[in-house]
Amino acid sequence: MIEIRVDEEACNGCGLCVKDCPMGVFELKSSVSSPVHPENCMGCLSCHEICPAQALEHRGVVPCRRMYVSMKVCRMLNRVI
Amino acid sequence: MSESFINEAKQKFTTDLVFRAEDVPMRCDPPAEELEQTLHGLMQLNGYIIKSLEEIAGRGANAVTYRAGKKFGHEVAKYFEKKSDVEDALRELSYILHGQYTFEPWKPSDRDEYIVEENGSTFIYLVFHDCIVRQSCRRIGQEQGGPLCQTLCGYVVGAVEEITGRRGKLEIIHTGPNACLKKLILK
Repeated sequence: MIEIRVDEEACNGCGLCVKDCPMGVFELKSSVSSPVHPENCMGCLSCHEICPAQALEHRGVVPCRRMYVSMKVCRMLNRVI
Repeated sequence: MSESFINEAKQKFTTDLVFRAEDVPMRCDPPAEELEQTLHGLMQLNGYIIKSLEEIAGRGANAVTYRAGKKFGHEVAKYFEKKSDVEDALRELSYILHGQYTFEPWKPSDRDEYIVEENGSTFIYLVFHDCIVRQSCRRIGQEQGGPLCQTLCGYVVGAVEEITGRRGKLEIIHTGPNACLKKLILK
């Protein structure tokens, strides 16, 4: 099962993840996003991409192949990181 | 300036290699960097063709690409073994799509079965993980779920129809950067 963690300090309660998730995985509780049904997460990572605060962390997701990222960009990122 | 380029190009494409009729290339092992250029070129080509088609044909582009994909699906699956069982058909489909698309059956936690029979039709949710369509869309910054995705839908439907002999439909439920959820309906 996919495990979702929300950085409560970073989350600004915008609710974008709640709106975007087709499976209703998230709910807003006291203006902070909370994964109430993580068992329904299919690992599409839409919420991850849409979160403006980058407050979400998913564990146990099957990563898809990302061949659209060029090797040049990867090399540059590796140098920076 | 242009003359020197022509000379340069001519030199680049001149070899003394003898290529006989019986010389069939047995290996395809260019370095990864050369493969990458070709792959990205193909992704861009596909993406921009579809983007242009969408601009020209508007919403009609979806129907055109869906039909094209469906025809392709029928053609590809024509030589595959016919299966009436949905699970067997999906196994066959994963074999057809191997290397291009990977998918798994999926169900929400409150549902007991993956394959649901309802009003004479059968449906199953599929999560597509690896997808060359998604990669092409993201390569050129094109939105997912458009005509290129409809090509994949048509392709899957065509293949499934050919394998099972039943009429099918594939609905896009959700698209994401790492996986997409689709609903396969067989009538």
